Amino acid sequence: MATLSFLDRSRSIAHPGFNRWLVPPAALAVHLSIGQVYAFSVFKNPLLALHSADGSQWNLEEVGAIFSIAIVILGLSAALFGKWLEREGPRKAMFAAACCFGIGFQIAAAGASTHQLWLIYLGYGVIGGVGLGLGYISPVSTLIKWFPDRPGLATGLAIMGFGGGAMIGSPLGTHLMAFFKAAGDAAIPSAWITMGILYFIFMMFGVFTIRVPAGGWKPAGWTPPARQSAMITSHNVDVSGAMGTPQFYLLWLVLALNVTAGIGILEQASPMIQDLFHGQVTAVAAAGFVGVLSLFNMAGRFIWASCSDYLGRKPTYMIFFALGMVLYFLLPYTGTQHMDSVVLFVLIAGILISMYGGGFATIPAYLRDMYGPYNVSAIHGRLLTAWSVAGIVGPLIVNGILDHYNAMHIPREQAYPLILHIMAGLLVIGFVANVLVRPVSQRFWMKEQPTGAVPAGR
Amino acid sequence: MANEKKTSAGLVAAAWIVVSLPLAWGIYNTVLGAAKLFTPLHQSAPAQVRTP
Repeated sequence: MATLSFLDRSRSIAHPGFNRWLVPPAALAVHLSIGQVYAFSVFKNPLLALHSADGSQWNLEEVGAIFSIAIVILGLSAALFGKWLEREGPRKAMFAAACCFGIGFQIAAAGASTHQLWLIYLGYGVIGGVGLGLGYISPVSTLIKWFPDRPGLATGLAIMGFGGGAMIGSPLGTHLMAFFKAAGDAAIPSAWITMGILYFIFMMFGVFTIRVPAGGWKPAGWTPPARQSAMITSHNVDVSGAMGTPQFYLLWLVLALNVTAGIGILEQASPMIQDLFHGQVTAVAAAGFVGVLSLFNMAGRFIWASCSDYLGRKPTYMIFFALGMVLYFLLPYTGTQHMDSVVLFVLIAGILISMYGGGFATIPAYLRDMYGPYNVSAIHGRLLTAWSVAGIVGPLIVNGILDHYNAMHIPREQAYPLILHIMAGLLVIGFVANVLVRPVSQRFWMKEQPTGAVPAGR
Repeated sequence: MANEKKTSAGLVAAAWIVVSLPLAWGIYNTVLGAAKLFTPLHQSAPAQVRTP
């Protein structure tokens, strides 16, 4: 359709003199929106309280599946549509993401209104999940091409938005439900319809603002360094080639293990602090702890990814794994039975979660260093399946051990040393995988230098 | 280049404001919640729990 031709890659090429600092806000508009998925828990209790015409209600497991479906579809759609995104450009992909995310809310609202869970699964989980996956990867390669001098900073800014999105989505959902309830409307359907419209409009700001650099563009006054680390390639590997390299699977493991360990804390944050500091930390204070972790998660995404431009990607992950191992080992000993220090517990958990967020934000730049900027969004998309797997494995480890201790009538606080020491052990494997990452063999390099691809430096 | 059209600094600033305002609101709300971690035990009675 001619009316949609403005979405074409050719129509989004920046004019000479375009300021590249307009691109991070475009990326942030998308990531701040889709980050709402991490605030989905605010709808859990209201959904559990809904009744169908025959008086039946949904259980926790059924409602919990909405979030799980969305995250699994995020990983799958990022892997499936990455190549399409590289071909069609970020504007079309962002538009598709905005449509899917916005429409997903509308279908889910119909499901909540008619008490049909399958409609919520289809709307928020599947269609919204495709919006999440497309939206997550759509600005990555564009940012890397605009910021060849600071790829970590650029992708860190965008992916920080995903962490920040939860902070917006949580109060937005809560306030909207309270508003519609007070007005005598159905709280969840009305809130979801409104959120779908608001997020669509906000994401469209990103669609209209995003630009791709013209072929051969580079920042004014910047020249690629003549000599740079062997860990930063000046060639390109396409997504099919990247899948044939051992580096892809090592980095997949690096991301999966870093995320699994982080989920070990995030999954159980509120009960963990209450169990380890029994009688000292109330449920209200524990909710505050979850807020503190959100702040560390968001800040870590920007700070660690930006630092990786100077430290190098491999050393940054070395820090995540080495420091993480020590801190996960120490964390259970901060409880009342040992050091009895809430401050130390919060500080250590905060640093660990900053490295969890930092792992997400640094991986696109690591992929760029390994494979060049040409297909980095598509490769990133495939790598995000590690997130889906970690999202299943992490809670399985935590809940499996806690269930076992409950069944054996052993106090829950005694389970945490085992859980957290398993996480420390996973980081040892991650450390080894990261050590094994070497420059990609030249047999995988693309024969022709693609248009618009510029070598990057630190 | 003679025909080079520079993006105005005002436009860049406006774009950053558009995304910063909701983020600042979200951070403000999160900090309010996070402050409850440092509320003394006797002030955190269960009656203060807010159901989402």
